[in-house]
Amino acid sequence: MKLYDYVLSPSCYKVRLLAALTDTTLTLRPVDFHPGKEHQSPELLTLNPAGSIPILEDGLLVLTESSAILTFIAAQNAPQWLGQDTPQMAAYVQQWLSFSHRLTTTLGSARLIEMLHGHGDLAALQHQGIAALRELEAALVQQHMKGATYLAADRMTIADIACFPYAALAPDGSVSLDPYPKIRLWMRAIRAQPGFIEMPGIHRLHELSNDPLETTNQ
Amino acid sequence: MSFPMQDEWYPVAMLSDLHRQGRDTLLLGQPIHAARDPNGIPIVTTQNGQHLVTIERFGHLWTSLGTPRKDLFSIPEADQPGRTLVDVGVVRVKCSPLRAVENFLDIAHFPFVHTDILGAEPHTEVENYQVEIREDSDEVWATKVKFFQPQAAKSAEGGITTDYMYRVPLPTCSVLYKTCPPRPAEWDVICLFVQPLTEELCDVWPWMALFDDETPLTDMIHFQQLIFLQDRSILENQLPRRLPLDPGMEVPTRADMTSVAYRRWLKRHNFTYGAQLVAK
Amino acid sequence: MSMPATAWWTPVALSADVPPRMVIPATLPVGPIAVWRSQSGQVTANHDRCPHRGMRLSHGFVRGEKLSCIYHGWSFGKEGGCTAIPAHPKVTPPASIHCGVMPTVEQDGLIWVASAQPDTAPPVFDQYQPLRMLNFCACIDRIKTVCDASSRDPATDTYVTATLAGFVTRLIVTPLNETETNVFILVSPDLSTDQKIAISRAAEVLRNLCERPSPEGQQT
Repeated sequence: MKLYDYVLSPSCYKVRLLAALTDTTLTLRPVDFHPGKEHQSPELLTLNPAGSIPILEDGLLVLTESSAILTFIAAQNAPQWLGQDTPQMAAYVQQWLSFSHRLTTTLGSARLIEMLHGHGDLAALQHQGIAALRELEAALVQQHMKGATYLAADRMTIADIACFPYAALAPDGSVSLDPYPKIRLWMRAIRAQPGFIEMPGIHRLHELSNDPLETTNQ
Repeated sequence: MSFPMQDEWYPVAMLSDLHRQGRDTLLLGQPIHAARDPNGIPIVTTQNGQHLVTIERFGHLWTSLGTPRKDLFSIPEADQPGRTLVDVGVVRVKCSPLRAVENFLDIAHFPFVHTDILGAEPHTEVENYQVEIREDSDEVWATKVKFFQPQAAKSAEGGITTDYMYRVPLPTCSVLYKTCPPRPAEWDVICLFVQPLTEELCDVWPWMALFDDETPLTDMIHFQQLIFLQDRSILENQLPRRLPLDPGMEVPTRADMTSVAYRRWLKRHNFTYGAQLVAK
Repeated sequence: MSMPATAWWTPVALSADVPPRMVIPATLPVGPIAVWRSQSGQVTANHDRCPHRGMRLSHGFVRGEKLSCIYHGWSFGKEGGCTAIPAHPKVTPPASIHCGVMPTVEQDGLIWVASAQPDTAPPVFDQYQPLRMLNFCACIDRIKTVCDASSRDPATDTYVTATLAGFVTRLIVTPLNETETNVFILVSPDLSTDQKIAISRAAEVLRNLCERPSPEGQQT
């Protein structure tokens, strides 16, 4: 599987993250999104007329939406990540995959404006992004009351992968995450997964590795 | 009102991405417009139509609000044949332009911010190095800097102890000379050109001149963007937001000798745009 | 913004929202703080600023009984003293390197912090259980008005009684600034999960009401 990838793209990161967590091998094809605008080049437009990344190529199959790519990878290599144990769980997964697009169009757009000279109504995007984060927080509060840490189940599914990056990178678009304790716990649980990989703006949990100074002192 | 930093050079656009319609931007809080005239010549104008001085160098368009004391600095190594010149592209950061430069001069953060790339525990120790303010060129230099790095460059295989030299020729620009894995006798050149928009907001234009025939250009760009964007979340969360130039507000150690010299040099020249002078 | 005349306790988080080996950001009237729980379970609150280069410590990490800065890994113990500087692993940091620690009390499922030691303990809510914390973009007066001023606890300005989803709840309201307020919702401990969920949803509706412009046209 070949992923047309950009190191700063949260949507590409979703694909890389799921691949890392499910031991899926990806061949990365870096796309000069910024400053080169290569996603608008004839070669890339031939693959994806929408002019967006990620793009996943697997033989003749070409997928251009990150949620579809997550579904494909999970179905092939780790079906439990699809969250299909019960009708309710399967529906929740779909609900959050749809919701994730709101995070992309609000917080993601604010991030492009604040970071890479994108264009748009920043205040409106931030306002809509906060509304989305509040919904995410409320849903995670309910999940906690039911004893679950994740969005659709008591384990991670592609729903969590789809929503995690743009929520975690809200501060890149000058939207604070300080008011959301349950989002913080959820992000921490994701970052603690074995095989987790980071992207700029989303650090690994240094608390999971030992303090080398403590070790040498012993 | 004039102030010393007005008479220095600043990057305001990437030449490869500068067109007729140009870009509206800020320099030291003043609105300016950078564009190409009908003949393709880059021009920078102020709001009242005044044309500012310009220089095209290192892939970027440079200008000044005042009268620069001297020509824009040169990087002789960057002119060596065989180097790949890399326009990394602009990144906006909500921080003091001086804090952005100071972070670039720092190696002690590598194991925690650029983990497993530019540094990794337990290799956190910063050995002594040499720092001076060179009186002839009026630049800050740090030399004989060494640090262990798991993956120093896109072209590096495995961990190596990397040698560094840092140079500050302008208040918001720094040049880093770094071990070049494919050519041990030469230095890779990595620059941080910072355009101060306001005292707490900047556009950062990283630029590189590397010896590397193997790595595709896009990979080099991505590597540098990855590194710089890891710094961004640090830079946007330092308090106070402006760089404290008076001692007492922050606690330096031996590892921070470059930063100490940089702050001293800024203060000597009254380069205080983006600085905090008394503890508030 | 006026400061309280004497030091007073501010609730900053639910105990459950700060598990061991975690640090979170919070706000006191005097400024931002970092609240963290060590591996052994003790809660500490520091100024949210590493003395080295001013980085917010709430972005850092907790290992064992120490809080470390994400920028250069400087570590601080529960008394606030710097215990390690990774750039100089063989050097014992001088005692002068210190990050201010504030009085902290954990009680009835809430973490309370004060900028200096208050004369009295934080209020007791042992008949209640904290449900969740919400951030309202509204001032306290507006929240009290919406919750019905007649039910306000006359003894203090800090607590409001509100009926949410048909249940009587207590709200601890803590101003962050002129326009933002943290609201901690306390409920009876013997509610079912469904009842708690209903209250949580009603609290979202209450927030929407509070954030609408007031009928008099005043911006809250």
